[in-house]
Amino acid sequence: MTLTSKPLAAILFIVMFGGISVSSALGWWQTESAKVPAAFTEGEFAGQANPADIRGSYTFGDIANSFDVAPDVLARAFQITSDDPASFAVKDLESLYLDSGYEIGTNSIRLFVAFYAGLPFDTTGQEIYLLKPAADILLADATLTPEQTAYLQAHTVEVAPADVEAAPAPSEESAPETESAPPAPDPTTSSTEEYLVKGKTTFGELLQWGVPQDVIEQMIEAPMPDLAMTVKDHATATGLDFETLKTQLQAEVDKIKK
Amino acid sequence: MVKVFGKRVRLFRPRTIWIRKLVQWFFFLLIALIAVNHTLAESGSAIPVLSSASLHAVCPFGGVVTLYTLASSGVLVQKIHSSALVLAGLSLLLAIFFGPVFCGWICPLGTVQEWVGKLGRKLFKRRYNHFVPTKLDNILRYARYGILIWVLYVTAISGTLIFEAYDPYFALFNFWSGEVAPTALLILGTTLVLSVFVERPWCKYACPYGAVLGLTNLFRVFSIKRAASTCKADGACSIMCPMNIAVDNKTVVRDHQCISCLECTSEAICPVAKTVVFTSGGLK
Repeated sequence: MTLTSKPLAAILFIVMFGGISVSSALGWWQTESAKVPAAFTEGEFAGQANPADIRGSYTFGDIANSFDVAPDVLARAFQITSDDPASFAVKDLESLYLDSGYEIGTNSIRLFVAFYAGLPFDTTGQEIYLLKPAADILLADATLTPEQTAYLQAHTVEVAPADVEAAPAPSEESAPETESAPPAPDPTTSSTEEYLVKGKTTFGELLQWGVPQDVIEQMIEAPMPDLAMTVKDHATATGLDFETLKTQLQAEVDKIKK
Repeated sequence: MVKVFGKRVRLFRPRTIWIRKLVQWFFFLLIALIAVNHTLAESGSAIPVLSSASLHAVCPFGGVVTLYTLASSGVLVQKIHSSALVLAGLSLLLAIFFGPVFCGWICPLGTVQEWVGKLGRKLFKRRYNHFVPTKLDNILRYARYGILIWVLYVTAISGTLIFEAYDPYFALFNFWSGEVAPTALLILGTTLVLSVFVERPWCKYACPYGAVLGLTNLFRVFSIKRAASTCKADGACSIMCPMNIAVDNKTVVRDHQCISCLECTSEAICPVAKTVVFTSGGLK
């Protein structure tokens, strides 16, 4: 069989655009990131997501999907006040602290996630700063090596974000006071608005508010899902009635917060 | 030449594969528009309907460099998306049947080199594309395999797209964005300058993706074949070949550098019908 240029051109178009159409239909044609960081390729942590690969385009929710760090924890660590911390984009952090004199941005998030999740992160030659709330959370909840603790102490700054209110104080369970931490305001003085179970409330937030994991698991009749997952998404996916579940969870939250 | 109304005119005879030029223009404009739209999208003013994908999403080489990471850890190298894998698969499929048509017909960087090469052809006439001494040229042509191995290795161990900092294709369609490394701009500039003297210098000596697709020349289904019985041995096919392949002393072109542009065939430069053809079968 002999081909000339015109049939070849036609074949080329059919294969390229036909192939793209078919792959689109199959869901293989993705031109945007799935927001999954690259994994460590060797060593003890091979296969686990690498915090150094967290990008500015990721949201706190994306980070929670790859690391065991709830969006609410990140929001508290970086003083982000938001009804939906899971949707906060990492790249927006830097602009909040532009006038602080310190670079608080993607690298700070990477460092925090690495220390919090106990994953390797090379700080050699890098001056990466963390906010005091982040340091307090790490000192309270993470297992740090002496070197990491020293790095943390040398790179902790106390600055407030621009145009953003101070983040709600951590609950006692998630971030107990340490000697270096400032006294946390009494959670009971916080507005009850902050502890309302809504459609976009995540399981991570419920835990942060102090609802015990076994209570949640009992209510959803399943093991604890991904902490970044919203209660509503889970109810929809498992066929549970969201309104009923919400009422039950709210009752638990109210019990704890009273 | 014939006389028409007393004037001597040259009878029309195709000297080039015009439809290939058209296809090249199409893909160049498509990729350029997507790249511009990607920039516009970042400021929230993207052109609707048109894709605003990143350049890495529409480059099949990304699908090649990410294979190791995908196999070893199940994720794609950063900045690479599954669309790159799809394009790599489609380009490979085309190459298995028709050779590296991606290089000869689609790749916008190849197209730009050809456009610059027109200037060189005008300036240097027949000397154009024959400046590099044959011995050196023969050695340099294998450099792209070395580059391919290096790119695959550094991408595998780093899990990042290190080649981006050297990639003239990325520089060509992102030079306005401030994301391009100076090395990539330098390599793009060098490639364009060299294109005045040598046709497709990046493709010949450095392109790692050309190296991958070039291997299909060794076993592709459709090949350039020359009928020795009707060949006038005028060497036109070899002179026209952008990749300097000596088509006139081969019966089947299996050269790893062929880009299936068809410029050597009887449809274009070869003056004898059905003598140099693109076929899957034998020649009488």
